Amino acid sequence: MKFAEKIIEALKKRIVPLYGKIRNGTVGQIRRLELLTIRWSRNSARVWLIAWILGLLLLWLWDFLFLNDPERRLLELAFVHSMFIASLVVALTFLLAWATTLLFQTLEDRRQTTALNVLIFLTNFIRSVPQIIGVLLGYVWITFLMERGSLETTLAIMLLMSVFLSLFIFLEVVDMLRERIAYFRQLDFYNAMRVCGISEWRIINYDILWKNSRTHILNKMIAVFSSAIFLQCSVDFIISVGLSTRVSSVNLPVTLGSLLANIDSKQDILAIGYSLTHPDYLPNLLFLHLQGISVAFVIVFTLFSLFKITNALAERFKL
Amino acid sequence: MNRYQIKIRFLEQELVSIEDFSFESGEITILFGESGIGKTLISQTIFGLVDPHDLQITVNGESYFRYVRSQKVRRLQQNGFFVFQEPSSHFNPLMTIEEQLNEGSLTRAENKREILEALWRKPYRSHIHPLLRVYPKPFRPSGGEKQRFLLAMALMKIQQLNDEQQHLFVFDEPTGSLDDRYRNIFLEELFRRYQKKSFTILLITHDYSMISEIEKNHKKLLPKIRFKELRRVSDTRVELFDFKAEIYTSWLNNQRAAARKKVIEGEKPVLKVNPTFSVFNKQFALYPDSNSKDPAELIVRRGELVYLKAPSGMGKTTLAKIITGLQKAESVRFELAGMAFNEKTPQKIWRKQIWGRRLSMVFQHADEALNLQAKVRDVFKGLPGLGKSGNEQIKKYLREIFDETVDGQFLNKKIALLSGGQKQRLNLLRALLLHPDLIILDEPLNGLDFNSIRKVIEMIREKMRRGSGILLISHNEEIFDRIVPEESCF
Repeated sequence: MKFAEKIIEALKKRIVPLYGKIRNGTVGQIRRLELLTIRWSRNSARVWLIAWILGLLLLWLWDFLFLNDPERRLLELAFVHSMFIASLVVALTFLLAWATTLLFQTLEDRRQTTALNVLIFLTNFIRSVPQIIGVLLGYVWITFLMERGSLETTLAIMLLMSVFLSLFIFLEVVDMLRERIAYFRQLDFYNAMRVCGISEWRIINYDILWKNSRTHILNKMIAVFSSAIFLQCSVDFIISVGLSTRVSSVNLPVTLGSLLANIDSKQDILAIGYSLTHPDYLPNLLFLHLQGISVAFVIVFTLFSLFKITNALAERFKL
Repeated sequence: MNRYQIKIRFLEQELVSIEDFSFESGEITILFGESGIGKTLISQTIFGLVDPHDLQITVNGESYFRYVRSQKVRRLQQNGFFVFQEPSSHFNPLMTIEEQLNEGSLTRAENKREILEALWRKPYRSHIHPLLRVYPKPFRPSGGEKQRFLLAMALMKIQQLNDEQQHLFVFDEPTGSLDDRYRNIFLEELFRRYQKKSFTILLITHDYSMISEIEKNHKKLLPKIRFKELRRVSDTRVELFDFKAEIYTSWLNNQRAAARKKVIEGEKPVLKVNPTFSVFNKQFALYPDSNSKDPAELIVRRGELVYLKAPSGMGKTTLAKIITGLQKAESVRFELAGMAFNEKTPQKIWRKQIWGRRLSMVFQHADEALNLQAKVRDVFKGLPGLGKSGNEQIKKYLREIFDETVDGQFLNKKIALLSGGQKQRLNLLRALLLHPDLIILDEPLNGLDFNSIRKVIEMIREKMRRGSGILLISHNEEIFDRIVPEESCF
């Protein structure tokens, strides 16, 4: 009996501290893992931005090595045009949204109901038109101007494209800005600042929009950039059938959407389906069908990366 | 003696650290300190109540995880009690108050009814029993009632305590939602139990007037009571200092004479409010004192401090907002800096002629009255006459009210990262830097430590000397009753 007790005592002496060490060690490792996860979630927007840039660079390097020169140049031009239009859309959307928000604010504060109703009618009218239909109508107008000969330079066409795209996107940003202002106007700090004589212009623009909403605005602008690329590609793809007898997508500045709609690219995309049933054909996608695959990759990878960046920002800043 | 060395970090950033937080077992420690300095966080850490998510906490050199699992903390939790600052956060909204008063170790508690009656000083059947069937919600029962239930739970636990048991009773702002009468009742009940059986109390408060109450009615206990103050010694480091009660009481006693000498009479009023006004379909009236039957005009003259008193929810802040043009009244008439106002006056008049020039106001909750995302120096940008102040000028303004080293780093600090007391000082400074005819102060001493209270009172006096009229709304009656002459109270 005593012998058994001695064994139990000895085991307790050895096992209990060992159990404690294992338990504390495990807790420590879990804690470390938790900290790593927190760090990852805090930096994931930056990681996705780097991944997007690296992915595009890698693609460009691959194309530089394996895609023939004229096609590569066309792809580069399409990429530059699309990014330029999307960037312009972001700038125009922001300006348009900011101006409209301030106009709403001023009319509401001064109780100018007639002007306010006109503004509400106009914005609701734009809102009632589906984005893709609105942009298509814009392209019809561009075609009309091109046929008349009053729109000739690529820059002017791209500018007008950006205007139409932003016209059907900016209301999303207006809604967000108005919602932010309305939220902060209910808080005491808005009134506390006004009562101390600080101008409403400063409170709205600096304290509400800049100090309290810039992350929201940045996130929305990234989403606008994605929307612009998506809308642009969709419309360019749709109009590849032609807009008139004289103007077609061929006459318009080459973009990622129009390049995707190109007959060669379409065949390259079809090759993906073919390789699914004929796996031995798969390596050809990376060499023979590079144009279409590259365009599709740029569009999909860009949209996916931007989606991840906005998601990561929303999560990090609890938007 | 209980000694704790506590360090709390959020990722790589240090939030608060204290080398020596100590209090005697079996004694009453009353802990003062400005709001947000870390009193609650430190006491919750000691009691093992902090949610360590994202935080790295060490207590006496060991990790918080190990500390919380220690026998000592388990005993503290088992035998002691923690009264939360915000009573709503303690109660489970899915259980009635009665169920919660009979939960866990409280099931064995005796004399529940007597304890409740003692804290209410009202009959159980008619006043307390109906409340027991209520599921606690943010506004039901009232904050004061919830607080008293929580205090009753603590008193029940005290009753169950054996002499040998390791324990701690933490009361975090236990009287924050109580008026002076119920505060004094609670102190009486707590100290009566303490006299029968000594136990360890850590009482956290901003209410310095508790000192006067103890000196007046519980003088016998003074040898057992230690007044301590938590003060900031660097950006994140705090230290515990002894607080001499005489400093507060002698300062308070000196206030009376100083205030009465300063009243300037015969001046044209900066504010004259008609005796009655109505808002939210309710009629309000202003009385010169609680015994008066005839409403009177509220008059604030240049260089005068007028104190508006009323129980919570009686429309003090609403009247202030009506005067500042932020709230529409159904009927009101008043004169402000020589201009007549009524319920039909459009807000643009205030915007163009009043705000910042003839009137400024300090809102009661600094957390809500400041833009938390802005930097300290941004607070002064855009103020009439001060908007273009450079950094050096801003530092000069800040030194009027801040003890801390006001350097470039402080100017660039995000307001959200300041303590509650620092926010309140910034909130006050913004309005007090202006030179309007009338300044409305809504609970100006909220969350301030004694040093800051003295500075704020001095700043208010300076504003009066420079000719501004002050309309004051506060529940801190002890201090303002000394400063404001009786005839200036409404």
